[in-house]
Amino acid sequence: MSGIVWHILAFGVIGIFLAVTVYRTVAIARLPVHLRWELAPIPHEKGKGKYGGSYLEEYEWWTKTRQRSRIAPLVYMVVEIFLLRGIWKRNRPLWPLTFAFHAGIYLVTAMLLFSLVSSILIITEAPPYVINVFQEIASVLAVAGYLMGGLGAIALLFKRALDSNLRPFNTTTKYFNLVLLGAVFISGAYAWFNLGDFAAEMSLFIRGLITLDTGLTIAFSLSLHIIISLLFLLYLPWTDMIHFVAKYFTYHEVRWNDAPQDEKMKRELRGLLAQPVSWSAAHVGADGKKNWVDLTKKKTKDEEA
Amino acid sequence: MKKLKLTDIAKGGDSQLIDIDVDELVPLPPPYDKAEEFPGFKQLTEDQRERLVCNLDGVVSYAALPKPKNKAEEKKYVKQFISGLKKLLSKENNWTFLQPLLLSLDYCAQCQTCCDACPIYLGSGKNDLYRPTYRPEIFRRLVNKYIKPGGKLRAKLTGADIDLNWTTITRLYELSYRCNLCRRCTQACPMGVDNGLITRELRKLFSQELGWAPKELHEKGTMLQLDVGSATGLRPNVAIDNLKFLDEEFTESTGINVSTPWDKKGADILLIHSAGDIISFPESPIAFTILCNAAGLSWTLSSEIPGYDGINYGVFYDDVQLARVATRHAQIAKKLGVKKIVMGECGHQNKALMTVADRMLTRELNIPRENVMTFLENLVFSGKVKFDPTKNDFPVTLHDPCNLVRNMGVVEPQRRILRYLCPEFREMTPHGIENYCCGGGGGLSVMSDVNFTDWKVNVAGRMKFKQVLEAFADHPGPEIEKYLCAPCLNCKLQFRDVFEYYGAKEKSNLIFGGMGELIVNAMAIMKKPFLSWEEE
Repeated sequence: MSGIVWHILAFGVIGIFLAVTVYRTVAIARLPVHLRWELAPIPHEKGKGKYGGSYLEEYEWWTKTRQRSRIAPLVYMVVEIFLLRGIWKRNRPLWPLTFAFHAGIYLVTAMLLFSLVSSILIITEAPPYVINVFQEIASVLAVAGYLMGGLGAIALLFKRALDSNLRPFNTTTKYFNLVLLGAVFISGAYAWFNLGDFAAEMSLFIRGLITLDTGLTIAFSLSLHIIISLLFLLYLPWTDMIHFVAKYFTYHEVRWNDAPQDEKMKRELRGLLAQPVSWSAAHVGADGKKNWVDLTKKKTKDEEA
Repeated sequence: MKKLKLTDIAKGGDSQLIDIDVDELVPLPPPYDKAEEFPGFKQLTEDQRERLVCNLDGVVSYAALPKPKNKAEEKKYVKQFISGLKKLLSKENNWTFLQPLLLSLDYCAQCQTCCDACPIYLGSGKNDLYRPTYRPEIFRRLVNKYIKPGGKLRAKLTGADIDLNWTTITRLYELSYRCNLCRRCTQACPMGVDNGLITRELRKLFSQELGWAPKELHEKGTMLQLDVGSATGLRPNVAIDNLKFLDEEFTESTGINVSTPWDKKGADILLIHSAGDIISFPESPIAFTILCNAAGLSWTLSSEIPGYDGINYGVFYDDVQLARVATRHAQIAKKLGVKKIVMGECGHQNKALMTVADRMLTRELNIPRENVMTFLENLVFSGKVKFDPTKNDFPVTLHDPCNLVRNMGVVEPQRRILRYLCPEFREMTPHGIENYCCGGGGGLSVMSDVNFTDWKVNVAGRMKFKQVLEAFADHPGPEIEKYLCAPCLNCKLQFRDVFEYYGAKEKSNLIFGGMGELIVNAMAIMKKPFLSWEEE
């Protein structure tokens, strides 16, 4: 395949991936402030988060400065994201499968970062031993990631297909997602074992992309892996697999959002309460013109009399 | 047990989707382990089956659910349902929960991790119908199919095709009241998906668009409360008379001057009880009167509609009703000029006014509000009231109301009180924010239409009852008096039904009550015990 095609494919897919992911992230972020719906435990509650307590436990809490920990939510999320704490705690039989699968993703992502650094080092003509260090690490990350991810994907596929708890909830999309990601891992593993030095080839490919080298050529096994990976990357942001973005919001904006009103929120709330309501049930009394504030002014029977 | 598919929800017309077999429910410890000793489920009569919509599990929670006379009427309801779905996903009509709803609809990984967190699913012996994921996934697929562009084609291609017909709608309605909204499943979800919220949104759709809601929550709930002052039907003058009578009665029985202040302008604290406590558990409001007076607090009750009934069932099914009740409560406090509002012992009441409605109460209505457990803790440890903990020398365990604990993070104040005042306090397992719901959460405790109570006591409340019995496993029989502290009116109503059904008082000498009563019982000044194990 000609070098220019690789450039178009790679940059095009990365561009679409970023654009759609950013669009969907911004779309979630721009949804209106909602009513409070927090759920314990909230780790930022200093001294209380561990047992699930909140600032509402304080006598006359509104007279006190809120004690918030910045570190605790970070630690909580790191453990949740990298070690899958929730699954470990609540669904132990699933954990080894999904951990392998997710660890595969993290390791391959790390491999790409190391490969990127290594290609920059090649471009900047850094000493070969420095480049070697990065490529050695990338190589280990790659084989570990592809194997763990591949095994995880296959195991999850079997689990989905055979477990009577999961089977009724499956759709072809769920299977397809696993198959596609599994193909990324397996093709990666194939390339790693097929090539003499996977990490060096990967670095050279990335260097070719960065330097816009039109003479870029790569081996078949790596080409296959990169094409499948790009297809996956193109597909990813349109699916529910971007839960790595959504999870920020479900935790920080819903579960842990226990903020009392501040000035900015008050302004937004005034706008939201002024919106017309059109629910149809008689008791709501909406007509498409009355707003939320109007609707709360329902009179009692005595007042009507 | 019958295995269910998601598509089964739309099939079978008026026929029942599943049967509940009491032998398949999770077993209770002795002496409650023989199902045949208890009344079991009241089977619907032929006449009821003819008249009522009963196509889910043989249980009917809302007898007034309309039965369409013809296909055209069926289609009308389907159209209304779709219109409601659209409104749920619109900013104007549902800014209140749009972000949490969309996140929960779009990002469930279907790992089923939440299932074993649900006390109803566990209590039912893991019946598929009661999986916390069953109802939300159907709802999700209906949204994807009927609201999203290209949904119908995608549903066919991906095998996620569920028909929306009269059967689907009525079963979904009934199924939305087979959940306690306790959010234990949400807590278990690694993704942060909130099945409790989806269930509530479904209830909202039915209420706000079709006008369908359980009569105990709506017609005789929020509507009655907003009309006459209380969901119990108590009018202001009757509420005052009732409490005056109780003041006199308890003055006589305790030897302490019990006098409840009403409508005191400029008082520091507006205390809002649930009127249900005044009627069903009068020791609770009286305990507060005794405590507040003993501590010399400046406080008052309000007789303005609905200031003497702090419940807000809107939090269970309807945002408009939620806003109306919460606004009224805040307006009353504003009028009285109090420095803060303190809610009585009722979990959802505390959550509704303190957190859920917080962003509806803007400007002058945003009056400081304090939860009842912190208020009581401050009072107990203020040094203004003397206690003798030996008066509470009997086994006590604590039920954590979900709304107060899991949903508000009020965990320790009540424990500090119990550790101080109850030498034989013991925790249940699990407890705190991981507690099991009493089985009456989500408004279910006040619902009793047709044979719904049978389901509540047999299925919804099963895990909690089991847990309570296990907490007293060292004294299972009636020889020792035991106390279940349940600082929430709705939980107490559920425990009343459960204890009565299983005969917990006779078999285990087990009673339940609030926190206030336990505190007053330990007051040094009390000449006689405030708590009694004798039948009234």
